[in-house]
Amino acid sequence: MSKRHSILPAIDRSGPRPPVNFSSSLTISDNAILQGTHSITMQAETVIHPRSKFESHLGSILIGRRCLIHEQTQLGARPADIDTAKPGGVALADYVTIEAGCVIEAGGTEIGEGSIIQAGTKIGSGARIGKVLISLHHLELGVDFSKNCTITPMSTVAPGTVVPDSTVVFSNGTKRIEKRDISDQKKIGLIKQLAVLRKMIRSNPDKFK
Amino acid sequence: MAPVIPYTYIQCPCSDNSAHDNANDTHSQDSVDDDERTFDPRAPRSNYSLYPLEYLLYCEDCQQIRCPRCVNEEVVTYYCPHCLFEVPSSNLRSEGNRCTRSCYQCPVCISPLQSMSMTPSQDPSHLNADGTASQAGTYALFCQYCNWSSSEIGIEFDRPSGIHAQLAKVKNGGEHKITAKEIKEKRKENPDEPPIPDEQLDADLQFSTLKSFYQTQLADTNTAVTGMQFDSVGFSSPAALSRIMSLYTGHGHPGRKRQGPSDVMREALTTEEGLKTVDLDESMAIKKLQQLGWDETASTQQNLEQTEVSRFQDGLRPIPYLLRTKRSKRCSVCRHIISKPENKVQSTRFKIRLVAKSYIPNITIRPLNPTAPPVPTTSRPQHPEEPSLEPLKPYHYIVTFKNPLFDSIKVTLATPNTTPGRFSSKVTVLCPQFEVDANTDMWDDALKDDGRDRRRKGEESNGQLEAGKIWERGRNWVSIVLEVVPASLRLNNQEPGADVDKSPLKEDEDVLEIPMFVRMEWEADSQQDVGAAPGKDRDGREKRELAYWCVLGVGRIHHD
Ligand SMILES: [Zn+2]
Ligand SMILES: [Zn+2]
Ligand SMILES: [Zn+2]
Ligand SMILES: [Zn+2]
Repeated sequence: MSKRHSILPAIDRSGPRPPVNFSSSLTISDNAILQGTHSITMQAETVIHPRSKFESHLGSILIGRRCLIHEQTQLGARPADIDTAKPGGVALADYVTIEAGCVIEAGGTEIGEGSIIQAGTKIGSGARIGKVLISLHHLELGVDFSKNCTITPMSTVAPGTVVPDSTVVFSNGTKRIEKRDISDQKKIGLIKQLAVLRKMIRSNPDKFK
Repeated sequence: MAPVIPYTYIQCPCSDNSAHDNANDTHSQDSVDDDERTFDPRAPRSNYSLYPLEYLLYCEDCQQIRCPRCVNEEVVTYYCPHCLFEVPSSNLRSEGNRCTRSCYQCPVCISPLQSMSMTPSQDPSHLNADGTASQAGTYALFCQYCNWSSSEIGIEFDRPSGIHAQLAKVKNGGEHKITAKEIKEKRKENPDEPPIPDEQLDADLQFSTLKSFYQTQLADTNTAVTGMQFDSVGFSSPAALSRIMSLYTGHGHPGRKRQGPSDVMREALTTEEGLKTVDLDESMAIKKLQQLGWDETASTQQNLEQTEVSRFQDGLRPIPYLLRTKRSKRCSVCRHIISKPENKVQSTRFKIRLVAKSYIPNITIRPLNPTAPPVPTTSRPQHPEEPSLEPLKPYHYIVTFKNPLFDSIKVTLATPNTTPGRFSSKVTVLCPQFEVDANTDMWDDALKDDGRDRRRKGEESNGQLEAGKIWERGRNWVSIVLEVVPASLRLNNQEPGADVDKSPLKEDEDVLEIPMFVRMEWEADSQQDVGAAPGKDRDGREKRELAYWCVLGVGRIHHD
C-alpha cells in the first residue's frame, strides 16, 4: 500500500448500485464510480479511466464499442434545469472519446460515432451530438452516417442542441462543418490509444457486478 | 478595467511638468509652488500617470522613477513567435514583417497550423506490407483546434517545409498564382500579348506591379529634372516619399516654381502596371450566399488578418505569423539604458533591468479589522471582497512599507486632510514619519535571529491606535495605521459654494482614493567615490532623497 495519499476526496460510493451489463473485453478501473437505479451497459473494447463517474438515476447509460472515457468525467449528471429535462439517460455510439473533466447531463443525451468531446466540456441535457435521428427506416436503407463531431475544450453545449454530423464546435459556440474526412485516421489513432491504455489500467469489472 | 480594491498606484513624475505648464496658461497662478499642489487622482490627466509598482522602471542616473511613457524603446531583435527564429533587420526590409518559413495561423480561428501528410497513416493491420512505403505524398496545413485544413480551400503542398514559397505560387482552389516576375518574362517572350485580365490581378500581384510601376515613373521624372538617378537610392528613401507626397498635395512648395515637365507622373493604365477596375457585378456572390448561407461567410475579424478581403470562408488564406520584437528601454532624459533583454530569442533573461520595485518601497494596504473571510489557498489569487464603506464612520487601515534597499530609509508621508474631489473624506495618518530598516540577505537574517532585539522602545504601539507610533515593525518593513472617515455620497450634503456640481455620480466616483506624498531619504554609497582612496570609503556616503505621489484605493463608499 502506498503511503502517498491522494489529495482528492475519498470516493463516495453511497447510493444504489446500478445493474450492469459489461462486455468481456471491457477495461474498467475499480476506481470508477457507478451509481443509480437504471442499467449501465458498456460494450466491447471500451476503456474506462479511474475516477470517472456514471450516474443512472434518471435513465440507463449506454457506452458503445471502443469508447474512451477519461478521468473526472461525469456521465448522466443531473440536468441543471431538471424541470424541462426529458426523461432518459445517456447514449454513446462507437468510437466516442470523452476527455477529462467533461460533464454530460442525462435526459436523452446522445453522442454519435467517432465524436470527440474534449476536456472540460459541458453537454446539456438532451443534446444530440452528430446524431441524425436513427430510425429503423434509415437503417434498412443502409444509410451511412459519419458523425464525427469535435467539441473543443471548455465548450458548453446547451440542453437540447442538435449538432449536425462532422461539426466542430469551438471558441464559445462557433460551429463549422469539417470538410476533410479523416474519421478512419481518427479511429486508427483511437484503437492504438485503447491498446496502450488496456495495458496500463488494471481492469476490475467484477467489482461492479 | 475595475481596479482590485485595495490598491496602490504610483504617479510617475514625468507628467508633472506638462500639467504645470497648462495651469500657468489658464489661471494667473498665485505662485503656488509645484511641491505644494495636491495631486488629484480624479483629474482626467491622472489616468495617464498612475501605475502599479510592477509597471515602473527606475533610472539610476537621474534617480527617478520611469514609466512606460517616459522611456524610449529600441528594437533589439525581430523574431517569429512560432519558430523562434531571429530575423535580421535587412530581411525585414526585403521580405516584410511576417515569418517567411513555414509558420502559419489558421485563418478561421488563428491557432497555429501544422503541415502534415494528407495520406492516411498506415493502417496497423496493413503494416509493413511492402516494407518500403514511399514517403512521397501531398501535405496540407492542419489546425488542431477547429480542424480546418488547407485542403478545404484547395491548397496542398509537395513538401512539408518551405510552405511560404509554395503558398506564394498557389491560389485558393489550387490554381497557379501569377507573380510579377512571370508577367515580365512573358512580356519579353511575347511583346504583343494582351495584359492579364482584371480578375487575375490579386492583391500581392497588384502591389508588386504598382510598386515597380511607380519606381520607373519616379526614375523618369527624376532624370527629367535633375538628371540624377534616384533609383539607386531606393523607392522608400525619404526624398522619394516626399516627392510622391508633393505630387498628390499639389506642388508641395508653393513658393518654388518648377520648370519643365518634371513632376508629371501618369497613373497606371493596365493590369501590368497595377490598375484593377472594380467589379460591380455581385450576382455571383449573392447566388453563393443564397446557396451556402451565413455559416460560409467570413467574419470581419477573420478578414482583418487577410491581405485581401474575402466575403466567403473559402477565400481566406493561412496567415503567416507576424514577427515580434524584443526591445530595450532608455531613459528619455539621460539616454541611459534601463532595460535590455538578452539578444537570444529563447532567453527570457535581461542584461539590464532596473525595476522600480528594487528602488522604492512597496506599499500595501489592508483593513485593520477585515470582515471578509480569507480566500482559501486553492482559489488564490482571488482577492477578498470587503463590503462597501459606511459614510461618516471611521475606518482603519494598515499601510505597510517594505524597503527593497540595502540601506535603511527614512520615510515621510503627507496626505491632504480631506480627499480631493466632490466628496471629500477625512484622512489621518497616525504616524507620518518613521524609519524602515535596510533589506538584508534573507539567510543572514534567518541565521542571526535578532529580529527581537531590533524593536525600538516606545516606538511601537502595542496593538493600540496611538498617534505618532508605528503599528508594527519587521526586518525591512514598517506598518502604520491610516484613519479614514468616508464622505457621504449625498449631493445635498455638500457645503454650499459658488459652483456646486450637482450632476449624478460618475463612474468610480464612489471609490475612496487617497493621494499620498511619499518622501524617502537614505544614505547610499557615493558613486563619485568609486575608485577613490580606500581611506575615504567610510565617509563616502551620500544623502539621497526621492519623493513621489501615490494613490491608495481604499474601498467603495456605500450609496445611501
Ligand atoms: Zn513617466
Ligand atoms: Zn516562423
Ligand atoms: Zn483553426
Ligand atoms: Zn535617466
